[in-house]
Formats: sequence, C-alpha cells, structure tokens
Amino acid sequence: MELPSSSAMETDANVPPAAPPKPLFQALKPHEMSDGKVQFRKIPVPSHLFAPLKRNWMEIYTPIYEQMKVDIRMNLKARRVELKTRQDTPDVSHLQKCADFVHAFMLGFDLCDALALLRLDDLYVDSFEIKDVKTLRGEHLSRAIGRLSGKGGKTKFAIENSTRTRIVIADTKIHILGSFVNIKVARDSLCSLILGSPAGKVYSKLRAVSARIAERF
Amino acid sequence: MGEEALNRLRTTEPVAYLAPSPELSSLTRAASGHLYSSLLPFCPSKPPLDHLLSDQSFDAEQIWSQIDLLSKPLLPFLRRQLSRLEKESKLQSSLPGKPLKSTGKTKKDEEEEEDNDEELGLGDEEEGDEEEDDGEEFEDKDEEEGEDEKGEGEVKDKAVEDKFLKIKELEKFLEDGEAEEYGLPTQKKKIDQDYQDNGNETDQDKEDDDDDEEDALDIGNLGDDSEGELEEEMENARYEDFFGRQSNKGAQKKSSRKKVKFDDRPQINEIEYEETDDEIENKEIEYQENDDETENNKKNMSTHEKEVAKLRSKIEDMERANLEPKSWTMIGEVTAAKRPVNSALEVDLDFEHNVRPAPVITEEVTASLEELIKKRIIDGQFDDVQRAPSLPSKAPRELKELDENKSKQGLAEIYEEEYAQKAGLATAPISVSDELKKEAEMLFKKICLKLDALSHFHFAPKPIIEDMSIQANVPALAMEEIAPIAVSDAAMLAPEEIFEGKGDVKDEKELTGADRKRRRANKKRRFKAESAKRAAKKPRPTTDANGQ
Repeated sequence: MELPSSSAMETDANVPPAAPPKPLFQALKPHEMSDGKVQFRKIPVPSHLFAPLKRNWMEIYTPIYEQMKVDIRMNLKARRVELKTRQDTPDVSHLQKCADFVHAFMLGFDLCDALALLRLDDLYVDSFEIKDVKTLRGEHLSRAIGRLSGKGGKTKFAIENSTRTRIVIADTKIHILGSFVNIKVARDSLCSLILGSPAGKVYSKLRAVSARIAERF
Repeated sequence: MGEEALNRLRTTEPVAYLAPSPELSSLTRAASGHLYSSLLPFCPSKPPLDHLLSDQSFDAEQIWSQIDLLSKPLLPFLRRQLSRLEKESKLQSSLPGKPLKSTGKTKKDEEEEEDNDEELGLGDEEEGDEEEDDGEEFEDKDEEEGEDEKGEGEVKDKAVEDKFLKIKELEKFLEDGEAEEYGLPTQKKKIDQDYQDNGNETDQDKEDDDDDEEDALDIGNLGDDSEGELEEEMENARYEDFFGRQSNKGAQKKSSRKKVKFDDRPQINEIEYEETDDEIENKEIEYQENDDETENNKKNMSTHEKEVAKLRSKIEDMERANLEPKSWTMIGEVTAAKRPVNSALEVDLDFEHNVRPAPVITEEVTASLEELIKKRIIDGQFDDVQRAPSLPSKAPRELKELDENKSKQGLAEIYEEEYAQKAGLATAPISVSDELKKEAEMLFKKICLKLDALSHFHFAPKPIIEDMSIQANVPALAMEEIAPIAVSDAAMLAPEEIFEGKGDVKDEKELTGADRKRRRANKKRRFKAESAKRAAKKPRPTTDANGQ
C-alpha cells in the first residue's frame, strides 16, 4: 500500500505533521530496573547456627517470601542462605531488608527482634569489638565481658530495656540492634562498662537518658 | 728697807687696814718693790721691768699689773719644779727632809696664794692690794722663816700639818666656791673654831675671812718647805685635818648655807650663841630642816612644835612620794615588760573568772545524780535526739526503675506498641511502675482500712491515696482540653521543677574573663588528672592465661 506519507507530506507541506503521542511508561519493576537482571544476596551461616536455623526456618521463610516477596533458599552445600528477587518484588529495598534480617539472625539476635528490621526502616545493626574500645587481655577481658553482661545478664537487659535495643555479646564482638539514637546510647553505656565504670553508674546514666527519651513521646 | 717695811706691815693691826693711811701705803709699796726684786731672778723669762715702779704717782692698778707681768711666767715654772721634786721625793724612801731647794715650793705657795687673792675679787682695790701684799708678805715671811728655822730633815708635825692643810684647804676653798655657785652643799673643812662668821656676811666674804685667818695662823705656824716633809704630812694626816671636829659640823654646815637663815630657837651651844648674835640683824625668815639641827634641838621643842615638826615631815614624805614615779601596781595597764620579773606572783591579784569552778563531788551530789538517773529510766524520758521531719518541698518525682529482666516483648512488638500508641489505636499507661505492685498495694490498703475500722474505737477516715503521677512539661491547656479555645504558653511545670540550679548559674555570655579562665583551668586540671591516672593505669601487669 502506498504510503500516504509522501502525498500527505506533499499535501501537508504547510501543516507540520502530528507529533506522536507521549509515551506513558509504567513504573519499572525491580527486576526490570536492573535491566531485568535478578539480584541475589548470599548470607553465610556460621556452624553453630545450623540447628537454630533449621528450627526456625519456617518463621524466617514465611515473612520473607510472603510479605517481602523475595525468594529464599538454603544452600546447604555452601552453607549459606540465598535470596533472590522475584518479578513481583515491589521494591529493591525489600531484598536488602530481608538480607539484613537474615544477617541479624545469623549474628545471634532473636527472631522477634530481627523481625523489627523487616518492619521498620530506621533500624540498624551496629557491631564493634571490645578491643576497639580498650585493649584488654586475659582476665581483664573476661572481667570486662562479665561486666557487660552483669549477673545473669541483668546489666545487659537493663540496657536493652531502657534504650529499646537488643544487644548480642558474642565473645569479644558486640552487636547492637535498634534505632540510630538508641544504638548510640547503648553503645555509650557498653563502652563505659568496658572501660571499667561500675554498673550502678551506668544505671544512673541510663535512667536519666531513658527518662529523656520517654518524655519525647 | 723692803724687809723692814714687810715686818712693819706684819706687825700692824688688821684693823688699821680698814682705814686708808698714807704710811701704810708707802710701806706696802716699799714691801712690794722689795718682793718684786727678790723674785725677779727666778723668773724664766725676764719681765720688761727690773724693779717695781711703785712711786706715789703710780696707781694700785698699775702696780698690780706689773706684778702680774712677773708672776705669769713664774707660776708654771714653779709648778713644774714642784712636780719634779714630788717625783723625786716619792722615789726616795721616807727619809727626813733632804737638802733640796725649797725655794721653788715656797714660791709656788706664794703664787697660789696670790692666785687665791686674785680670785677673791676684793672690792676695795687698795685694800685688796694691801691684802694681797700682806699675803705676799706673809708668804715671803714664811719662806724666809722657814728657811731660817727649819734645817733640812727636821719635821714638825704641827708645821707639816699646817702646810698640808693649807694646800688642801686651798683646794677645798675652790671647790666650795664652785659648789656655792651651783647651790650644792659644801663640805667645809674645819679650820678654826674661833672664827665662825655665819649668816651676816656672804659666803665669799666669810671665806675670805677664813683665808685671812689662815694666813694669820700660818704666820704663827712656820712649816718646813722641804719636799720630804710633804710625804710625812701625808702620813701623819688625820681625820680632823680633813673633816674637822664633829661638834662644829652642824654649825659649819649651817653657816655654809647660801640662804640667809633666821633661827629663833634658844641657842645653848656656844657656836649657836654666836649665830644668834649675828643673825638678829637678819630680816629674812626661812625655816631650815637641817637634820643635824633637828637632832640637836628636839629636846628643846615644845609639844606643839614637835607635832608641827612631825606633820611637816609627814607632808614632806608624802610630797616626795608623789613626785617619785609610782610603783607598777599603781600605774594602770602594765605589760610584763614594764614590771620586774615574777613580780605578779608576789602581788595578790584580783581578776574575773569567766569559768564556773568545777563542782566539788560529794556523796550527796552523787546520790542526787543517781536518783535523777533512776527516775528518768522509770519514766522512760531520755533526752533522745529526734530527727527533724524533713518537709517535702515538692511531690516525689517518680524514679523509673530499670527492668533487669529479659523483656518479654520482642523489639518488633515494642515498636508496634509504640506505633499504636502514637497513632492512638491503643491507650498507653501513664506511669511506668509495675502494675502488679500497684494492684497489690491497693488491695493491702483496703484490708488495713477494714481491720482498723474493726479494731479502733475512734473513727479513722479513709486514707487519702495519693496518686503519683508524672507531670510532663507539656503546655497546660493541651492536657486539659481537647479543643483548645485559647492557646497559652504556660507550662505545667514551674521553672524550678524543670531545672533546679544550685549556685550561681551563669550563661555562656555572662561569664567574665576570670570565670572563663577558671573554667578552663579546672578543665585542664581534670584532664591532667585523668591522663595521669590513665598513664598510671597503663603499665599494669597482665597475667596471660591464654597467651593474649
């Protein structure tokens, strides 16, 4: 068929040709954003967490798969948990959140605590070592760890409760889960404990701080 | 001719000198001329005149000056001679008068006499001249006679004495003159009893008389002029030579007073008799308190006079005491430096005791104390210290208790709750204290109330349960009304409840330079202390259990 364009062009030499309609694109899907590539996250599993992971697998799997719309699988041979975006993953950050969640679990946090990571945006995990604060060796180190935990863990719980954070003391590594401000407060308390201040002193400071924090809301 | 004149002058009565007579005048001129020429060869430096010009035409003053010209160089020469001779005589042992020339000494005596005469300052020149000449004459006579009479080595105590006295007397006379000038009591040596002239004449006149008397006496007593005898004079000197006899001492003293005295007491003593005779003419009345006199006259006084005398002496004593400086006890404020050492120990001091004296413990006192103790124990009334109740200034601020147990909710749940509260989906509890505790407390109070109502007779109202609440520093009206009609800036809490500042709270801008410096210094100090502590802490011995 003859293209009427030429004739149109000939006939419509005076009138400019109609612009093509503006393209209306839909929002890119996450996997399309990365040019249709699938994103992965791989989280290694420490050996002592195999059993807990196995036990809690369904509780981990369910929110990730159902609510976050991220694929998750356990690679036993490589001993890691792998996460993958699906096509209907709404946001790229979901993958990261799930990765963080699993990572938190791997660090030792409770599931219910780690779940907060999934739900809230502004929760972070901060890790540091005792040797970052003060070089301690041998018995001093042991004593410092003891100071941090307190008798039956009461000091740690006191800090957790007053600052709304969760603390994991893994030998010489300390992980704190919470919002940025709370992490800071908890970290200060822990550092002062490491440096040698008695628990009572830390408590009094905590009281003051927590009262202030509570007053804000 | 001159000697003859001298002799004649010597023999004339002293009274004749009182009236001027040409004969005496011519005699004296001749005598003086003779003396002059006899003394001339001994003078070391020759005076201009060979012989004395003593004609009638010459004045007494002129004659005097001529004599003076001669005597002035002569005197020192004689003195030197005398001292030399004295030394020589001392070297020698007590030998009788050596065959030494005595001329020098006599000359010296003469010159001394002349000096004395000069010092006397006699009124009538002519008379004085005559007297002086007399003195010279006498001295010359003495000299001559001494030379004639005394062999060398011959000692006459009387003569020696007199010689000795003469010298001494001259000295004393000089001292007396000085003393009278300055009003000091004089010590007049007793010379002669016979001539006691007392209040009538002036002292000088009297002393002149004494001198003249001496001269008169000396004529009688011719002494040896040898140097050796001087020593013996010294040895044989007696107390009476110096101080005269005691009985006349008082009279002498009295006579030596400068003031003219009037003595109206009855005179028994021979001397005093003479005094009264002399003093009747005296008009001045001055009572004297001479100790010697009072001693002499006490038995003669009447009772009244005695009393008066006693009173007077008392008055004098008191006046004297008043004039003296007071003893340290009467001065007033006295420091330790102003009083003698340990003097306060001897005086009975009286001062206030501000401390109650310690009680004397007796059996009765002990018994009373024990009774008191027993009574108190029975009553149970011990004076115990009771703690003062502290008033609560404000409602007790709620202390948030730290939960030391593992939180039952997970972090997610906590945030969930928080979100729900914020969104208003769920009510949040105001206080953070334990719910169970409160519940238990409420229950217990109820029970107590019921039990109290059962057990007590009197009515006990329901206890007021105070609700402890947190008051947040939130705008007041925001709490009260949902829909605020008006918006107010007033806050629920008073400023003190927000912040209770102690001390002077200064803003950053209000700090002065000194404050800033102080703050910085404190900070530095703290930092230094901390760093020092840290440095001290660092080298700690760490036992390596794991080799870490």
